[in-house]
Amino acid sequence: MKPDQQIPRNALVWIIASQFSLVAPHAGRIPIWVLAVYVFAALWRIMVYRGSWSFPGRWVKAGLIASSFAGIFFSYGSLIGLEPTVALLLTAFALKLIELARHKDGYVLLFLGYFICITEFLFSQDLPIALYSLLNVTLVTTALVAMHRPGEHQFNRKTIRLAAVMLLQALPLMLVLFFLFPRIGPLWSVPIKTHTAQTGVSDFMKPGDISSLGKSDAVAFRAQFDGDIPGASELYWRGLVFSTLEEGAWRSLRYFDVPPAERRAPPVETTGESLQYRIIIEPTQQNWLYSLRYARPTSPGVMSGSDYVLFSPTELEDQRLYGVESWPDAILEPELSPWRREIELRLPGTDNPQTRALAGQLRSQAGSDAAYVDAILAKFRDEPFVYKLDPPLLPAENPVDAFLFQSRAGFCEHYAAAFVVLMRAAGVPARVVAGYQGGEVNPLNRTVIVHQFDAHAWAEVWLQGRGWMRVDPTASVSPDRIEWGLERALEQQGGFLSDSPLSLVRYRGVAWLNTLRLRYDALTYRWQSFVTGFDRDRQFQLLNEVFDGISVRKFLLVLAASWVLVLAPLAYSLLGRRRAREQRNCDRYYLQFCEQLAPLGFVRAPGETAGEYAARICRAVPAIAGEVGEITRLYSELAYGPVEASSGRATRSERELKQAIGRFRPARKMRFDRDPR
Amino acid sequence: MQGRKRKPARHGIGNRLRRRFAEWVNNRIPPARAVTLDQKRIFIFPSRIGLFFSVCLLVMLMTAINYQNNMSFALTFLLATLFIVGILHTYANLSGLTVRALRATPAFPGKQSEFSIKLERGGQREHFALYVKYPDSDGSVVNLVEQDTVQVNLHLPVGKRGWFSPGRLLLESTYPLGLLRCWTWIDLDLYALVYPQPLAAAQLPGLASDRPDGAAVPIAGSDDFYGFRDYREGDSLRQIHWKGLARGQGVQTKQYGAYANRSVWLDWEMYPGLGMEQRLSHLCYWALEFDRAEEEYGLRLPGLVIEPGLGERHRDRVLQALALHGIGTRSR
Repeated sequence: MKPDQQIPRNALVWIIASQFSLVAPHAGRIPIWVLAVYVFAALWRIMVYRGSWSFPGRWVKAGLIASSFAGIFFSYGSLIGLEPTVALLLTAFALKLIELARHKDGYVLLFLGYFICITEFLFSQDLPIALYSLLNVTLVTTALVAMHRPGEHQFNRKTIRLAAVMLLQALPLMLVLFFLFPRIGPLWSVPIKTHTAQTGVSDFMKPGDISSLGKSDAVAFRAQFDGDIPGASELYWRGLVFSTLEEGAWRSLRYFDVPPAERRAPPVETTGESLQYRIIIEPTQQNWLYSLRYARPTSPGVMSGSDYVLFSPTELEDQRLYGVESWPDAILEPELSPWRREIELRLPGTDNPQTRALAGQLRSQAGSDAAYVDAILAKFRDEPFVYKLDPPLLPAENPVDAFLFQSRAGFCEHYAAAFVVLMRAAGVPARVVAGYQGGEVNPLNRTVIVHQFDAHAWAEVWLQGRGWMRVDPTASVSPDRIEWGLERALEQQGGFLSDSPLSLVRYRGVAWLNTLRLRYDALTYRWQSFVTGFDRDRQFQLLNEVFDGISVRKFLLVLAASWVLVLAPLAYSLLGRRRAREQRNCDRYYLQFCEQLAPLGFVRAPGETAGEYAARICRAVPAIAGEVGEITRLYSELAYGPVEASSGRATRSERELKQAIGRFRPARKMRFDRDPR
Repeated sequence: MQGRKRKPARHGIGNRLRRRFAEWVNNRIPPARAVTLDQKRIFIFPSRIGLFFSVCLLVMLMTAINYQNNMSFALTFLLATLFIVGILHTYANLSGLTVRALRATPAFPGKQSEFSIKLERGGQREHFALYVKYPDSDGSVVNLVEQDTVQVNLHLPVGKRGWFSPGRLLLESTYPLGLLRCWTWIDLDLYALVYPQPLAAAQLPGLASDRPDGAAVPIAGSDDFYGFRDYREGDSLRQIHWKGLARGQGVQTKQYGAYANRSVWLDWEMYPGLGMEQRLSHLCYWALEFDRAEEEYGLRLPGLVIEPGLGERHRDRVLQALALHGIGTRSR
């Protein structure tokens, strides 16, 4: 319909730039050939622009679409799931460029671009990604603006200014909507991430599993306490309880392993001081959540298991914020059910004969279970056991024997496992607990940052009258690990984060670098708790605090008020200010002229042209006809004459008009006309 | 509006609504030679693309809800408010513009008239992609970026003899985002003069010489110099205006002739018994013929006499008189 619906060159440049910028953060996740499609599409489109190639025909397009579907299928083995879908979208986004000819195609492409931004958020909502996406949105918006500037055949850097200004103006209203818009649950199930590896502690433990986590400096979770932060040796973050030893690996009880009567955790009498804290856990693609014992969740959607660990019914796809209240002094399970006792004592097979013999011997020497625990810990402390990140591999046959009597070097999981085997062999109920121990306190915002290298395994022993007691054999071998963390524990032998030389955590000694790192971490925490962790409960809490109770009326009022507050000044600055300027000089002079004539009975009718007006006056008062004619002529030339590149300065004709009107004294002449004295 | 209004009013709700709407627009934006666009005169509504964008926003919102993804919420809301802020920016692209009627070239019925319009900005703001169109004309897209004014020429076929109204001028823009369409309809009070349809007549009015001051033709080749005209093949070399040629005025021929104190009169009364339009058409035909032949002619219509003369201005006067005969002043 409209003549000029072509994409101007300036817009083309911005569109291609935004495409590459949009695909960049996805680059690590998608097959490399998708990136090649981007380069290919851009080249093709540029060749079309230069007139060397032409737009693809229908069959070529169909072929490209079919081959991209096939490509995705071969790369992922499926078309279903989040990653293949996103990769498909990204490919379509690239290919759309080839057939970008008219405005209509431009809209489809750029709106798809906005959607690509959202797909990035499904993988990460971190602060850097959010800032980068803001840049992407600006680029796409700039391309949209450039598309509506016909005739811009040169790349124009300044186009971005309007887009940025508009987005800045939109930002405050976006914040209002963000915090006010009701958060409702998912409406239907959506494809979830399929290819993302699970991170953190897994639900079964072989020797070597936790030491491999010890090499990662990734953050597992951050905790913020309402009161004082307990000492590092008290920070045992329980995640999983391993009660079953099976084929050399420890694993937790599965749901159907537990008889229905035992599925609920036995009630606990809460005694002593409680700790209140919130945890933001990074996505693990697993279910369990970490807490200090004995924990009760204060957020909905967090469940409590029969062995007093917390878990989420859904896998953690995204960061998750949950609140916990813990009573460290509470007694866990003062009475052990027969089923539980049987489970926590079970030691399958007859392997590790040396260990079993040792257990029998030491238990009979010790007077009680508690004394036996102390005896084992003393053995670990006094004999030459070594705490090592990379201990020698243990044989598949009798691994505990090999560890206790030969290698005597291991990481926490070796000690915990050996300890529990020793306990069970002596008839003392015991189990392995996996989680994290310690954490780095960030003095800037008083959070505890728990890294993957804080992963730890320890043991719990059930003693009559005292319930489940935490026993950490590693503390006997390497007290530094518990008090100061892994870095100090490995100081002598080295090897802390030796595989990641660029990790900032390695350079904690450099003061300014460390401050910077902690500052950034505090910012990340704040971002996670206020923005990405903002859910229905936080919203309810915030609105309650700020507005002192929520009602529909208040909600609408706040919404309306904020819109008026932002839009009214904007409207004024955009539309209001021009009033004084919109009149041209010649119009102003001419209106003066009309005003001089109006009291003499010549009011210019609305819609009357200057010529008609002048003719009317000249007929009535011939005496002023010459002057009126001259002024009208000058004015018509200025107002309706050929277009000239006018600047702000008064032209010569404008000055002439001004002078002519200045000399014009119609009242005097008309008096002469009427009164010939 | 004249041409349209004269159509017999059809019945029907659609038609009545259209008329009511036209009246409403007429009251809101009365005809004027120059219109400065302000809140009263600008209409705004989401464009088709804007509706498509809203659907996209809905999809984004669904994604945000289903994935419980806060950054997606943020982006969706940012784009939604961008849409809202866009209202003001789209508005500002038209607001403050002044549209002036410059001129409309006269034309014969069914031929194209050129309507010239000037767009002028009120401040230093850049205006882009201003789409200007009369209902039946071609459209034109202009920017106001470096210069303060821009002239737009629109061509459209004219109707019957008299004043032709092109209807309301549409000025439209979707800049900067294309999501909103902002437009106005203005009546620039600009009319094109439509001459009568020239109609050949067998009877040469010049020969109706029974009148005392009947027809006369300049007698070429006489002694009295009466003017110059552009050189034509066959002119005598002796009559070429050499001095003028030396001054760079082009090749001109001196014209000599004698007034035979008589002129050709194109007279209303020459075609008795014919209808008004047909008479005017014949007179128009002969006016054009004499103009082409460069012979003096005058016009006599009931209540109007134009003395014999020659030249472009004269011709335009005669044609205008013919065009407006019996029509009176411009009626709205």
